[in-house]
Amino acid sequence: MKESPEADPSEKIETSKQERQPVVDEDRRGFLGSAAVASMLGGLAVGYGAFASHAIRFLYPANVGESIWQFVCTLDQLKINESMPFTMPSGAKIVVARQAEGETADAFIALSSICPHLGCKVHWEAANDRFFCPCHNGAFDAQGAPTEGPPASANQYLMRYPLSVDRNLLLIEVPVDAVNVSNAGETA
Amino acid sequence: MSGIGKWLQERIPISGVQIQELTNEPVPNHLKRWWFALGGTPAYLFVVQIVTGILLAFYYQPAASTAFESVRYITEEATFGWYLRSLHKWAATLMIASVILHQMRVYFTSAYRQPRELNWVIGMALLMCTLLTGFTGYSLVFEQLSYWGATVAANISDAVPVVGRFSKQMLLAGDSYNERTLSRFYILHAAVLPTTIIILVAVHIAFIRMHGVTELKFEDEPEDKPQHFNFFPDHILTELMIGLTLMIVLSALATIFPASKGPKANPMITPEVIKPEWFFYVSFRWLKLFSLTFAVLSTGFIVSAMFLWPWIDKVLRKVTGNEDISVYIGIIATFLLVGLTVWEAAVAH
Repeated sequence: MKESPEADPSEKIETSKQERQPVVDEDRRGFLGSAAVASMLGGLAVGYGAFASHAIRFLYPANVGESIWQFVCTLDQLKINESMPFTMPSGAKIVVARQAEGETADAFIALSSICPHLGCKVHWEAANDRFFCPCHNGAFDAQGAPTEGPPASANQYLMRYPLSVDRNLLLIEVPVDAVNVSNAGETA
Repeated sequence: MSGIGKWLQERIPISGVQIQELTNEPVPNHLKRWWFALGGTPAYLFVVQIVTGILLAFYYQPAASTAFESVRYITEEATFGWYLRSLHKWAATLMIASVILHQMRVYFTSAYRQPRELNWVIGMALLMCTLLTGFTGYSLVFEQLSYWGATVAANISDAVPVVGRFSKQMLLAGDSYNERTLSRFYILHAAVLPTTIIILVAVHIAFIRMHGVTELKFEDEPEDKPQHFNFFPDHILTELMIGLTLMIVLSALATIFPASKGPKANPMITPEVIKPEWFFYVSFRWLKLFSLTFAVLSTGFIVSAMFLWPWIDKVLRKVTGNEDISVYIGIIATFLLVGLTVWEAAVAH
């Protein structure tokens, strides 16, 4: 826009300053107001977010997946093709067997009795020479290989508990977290 | 007005006429047929569950070492304990049945279509919460089937991609059923899920009030007959009658078929014949028919499709040009649902 030649430039500047002043104030106030609201909302979000995170961490089990190594027997206590019962910390009974000669853990096997399909207990059916899971009709051979049902379709073996040998002692790694049978296992 | 009436009026300044105006919404005539009042049935049964549940909570002890004994105490020693526990059990059964029937009614009358899509989603969420409440409640008894049902369910959730392991650990408070598991089921069953249901029911009813009840026309209704009747007192009376009938039915079922209890949970032995509650027979049979991954993914797919059905229905109608396509799909799904349930019920394995 062109200025008229008659106008005093200093007067013009003064006027425009006066006009602009409240606008600047309003802008500043608006900005500060929005910033205050945003920081309050941000503070609340961070605060509640931190609380939610703490709540989830509180609910998440603290000692998940914890296991311990336990003594089973000395190596010479198990001859080839012999087996012995072993009681887990939970009270569950499993069988540890020697399959081959040798002084390494590979010579032994400790089969879990938990079906890899959905966690039910398998039991040995002597008549059919198999482990059977009554939940969804899964079956396994004596080595824990799946033969029937959903585990066979998905090629899921019975889990083998990790074994190790330390100075002639056979050790087994077992989970510590389970319902204690002495509390819950009796049949009413 | 009496002195007490005046005192109350002063402190609660609302009149009967105002209450009537607030609640009175014209109700379409088809709601005089009882099967259209199936939405109120689970709501009534839910109140029964809250009352009986609070009473049972006075004695129930949610720990592996005490749960089964406390259920035995309620059933065999506490005065009327057997009756209250049986009411709670039968009300749960009827609540789940009526939620399913209500949903089927809504589905087959296409009442989920625009603009009521969101209320269908809320209804689906309510169905899921109801099933979860049933599952957690059954787990609390801590009998053999409770324990193994919970173990199987937790391992099913383990098979869900990405979040499966986390959700299993959150549900069981560990990698397997342990001493802290039962308290989780209890708090879910008695606090978290009921609160969620109350909130969802409030939103569900708010949506119904905003959109009004879907209007259905029947051929045998004369044109000159009034198309609506009053919510208060007419429909309230219908609901009261249903409530009374339900109480009689519940009481009779609780007395004739009282809640029993099986052997105490034994983590060492899975029973030879294991079954979940009847409303999970379908999933149980499905798991026997297919591999775990397929069964879990397909179930997730079906449930997601159910949540999104109002929009899927829209696309299907557009693509096929058939307005009743969802009805045909619904009939097939119902046959499948009933067929798998009966199959699972009829055989031991």
